Amino acid sequence: MPENTTAPTRAMRLGVAGPVGTGKSSLIATLCQALSGELRLGVITNDIYTDEDARFLKSAGVLDPERIRPVETGACPHTAIRDDVTANLLAAEDLEADFGPLDLVIIESGGDNLTATFSPALVDAQLFVLDVAGGGDVVRKGGPGIARADLLVINKTDLGPYVGVDVERMAREGREARRGSPVVALSRHDAASIRVLTSWVRDTLTHYRTGEHTPVDPGPMAPHFHADQDGEGSHPHTHDDGTDHARYQAAANAGQSA
Amino acid sequence: MSTSSLLLTLLGDARLPSGGHAQSAGLEPALRAGTTAAQVPAYLRARLRTVIRVEAGTAVVARAVAAGGGDLGEVEAAWAARTPSQALRANGRRLGRGYLRVLQTLWPGPFDARAGTWSRPVVLGLLAHRAAMAPADVARLVGYDDVQSVTAALLKLEPQDPLVIAAWVKDLLPDIDEMAAQVAPLHTPEQIPAHGAPLIERWAETHDTTTERLFSA
Repeated sequence: MPENTTAPTRAMRLGVAGPVGTGKSSLIATLCQALSGELRLGVITNDIYTDEDARFLKSAGVLDPERIRPVETGACPHTAIRDDVTANLLAAEDLEADFGPLDLVIIESGGDNLTATFSPALVDAQLFVLDVAGGGDVVRKGGPGIARADLLVINKTDLGPYVGVDVERMAREGREARRGSPVVALSRHDAASIRVLTSWVRDTLTHYRTGEHTPVDPGPMAPHFHADQDGEGSHPHTHDDGTDHARYQAAANAGQSA
Repeated sequence: MSTSSLLLTLLGDARLPSGGHAQSAGLEPALRAGTTAAQVPAYLRARLRTVIRVEAGTAVVARAVAAGGGDLGEVEAAWAARTPSQALRANGRRLGRGYLRVLQTLWPGPFDARAGTWSRPVVLGLLAHRAAMAPADVARLVGYDDVQSVTAALLKLEPQDPLVIAAWVKDLLPDIDEMAAQVAPLHTPEQIPAHGAPLIERWAETHDTTTERLFSA
């Protein structure tokens, strides 16, 4: 059997980001419940003020409490998943050292805002969680997580009728914002939607193991507008690597001064 | 021997990703135990005279031992013997792993297999040797990092005018320099100061088992 030197030697790290109250902890509990029979799991939580998320997950009884570790974030949850990932990396290393080998380490971000996403220095893949109760328009507000996380989850779809949100439309607008990248409309009361989510996790893990999965940084920058130098009106856009911005801006400025 | 002032700036910058942003240098449990914000400058002076003198002395000695090709495990043992709180030892070793990541990326080279278990001051001493830092400067770095960790945490725990806090830091700079000058000549593990701060150590133990906290230590 040929030796595959590119195959990763550690568990895949899956980030779960999204604003406060969208159901990140509940989603992780759902994942643990669905996958703990087939995958060796660990969970790291990043709370802002408490270890509430870790306690919720431990009390949910979906995973050995020892496999759930809270990390303090010094009141800066976005720093802990992007600018300085040290505490989370050490916690992931410790989980694998204590229970390894593991297949999947799920890292929950502290609920922050629409701009907070994981650095690829910490996670191999990430999903971004919105919920219908936050309003159908949130998906149109955009941001790096909504546009470019590996998966966008629109959670609590069962609440749609109660909060006046057209779930189908929200999911469709999510796909448009992501230019076709995957979106899952999820409810923990809808077994079919959970199967879609777990299939995505399994597929991503398979690709991670074969070296076909490339971590993508959703980037810290939200989609934004420039005055259009061609006079065709402004349009929102994003930059894959940030290098086009200065050139584009310079062109726009030149157009304005001409 | 003089250290590049920009190198010292890089290492003392809060933006250095070494895991420090979740550290309050004991301030969070100190406030919970009744210390007031107004007492923070006194708290910092107490730290500079006790636990931070031990940390800085350890870093200076680790640098000297690394430079002489000696066994840093002995320096680690001397630090541990002078750090009676289990919680502080565990935290110091977590911070050591954070600085080891910095060292491995910025000054790559071979490592002792035990380096992943060493505390922050021992790893910093090794870093100081690799980066050709002067002994007094690694001690100043330890002192400055501690003062900034406490004051930055204060802004999260009891918010107030950040410039007032910055003025406290400025006023403490001579204290940091004085502490650094005193430990800079040390060379061997037995010379590392052994000052204790029983309240700081007790608070660290309490904090270790506190569930609702902003900072890991």
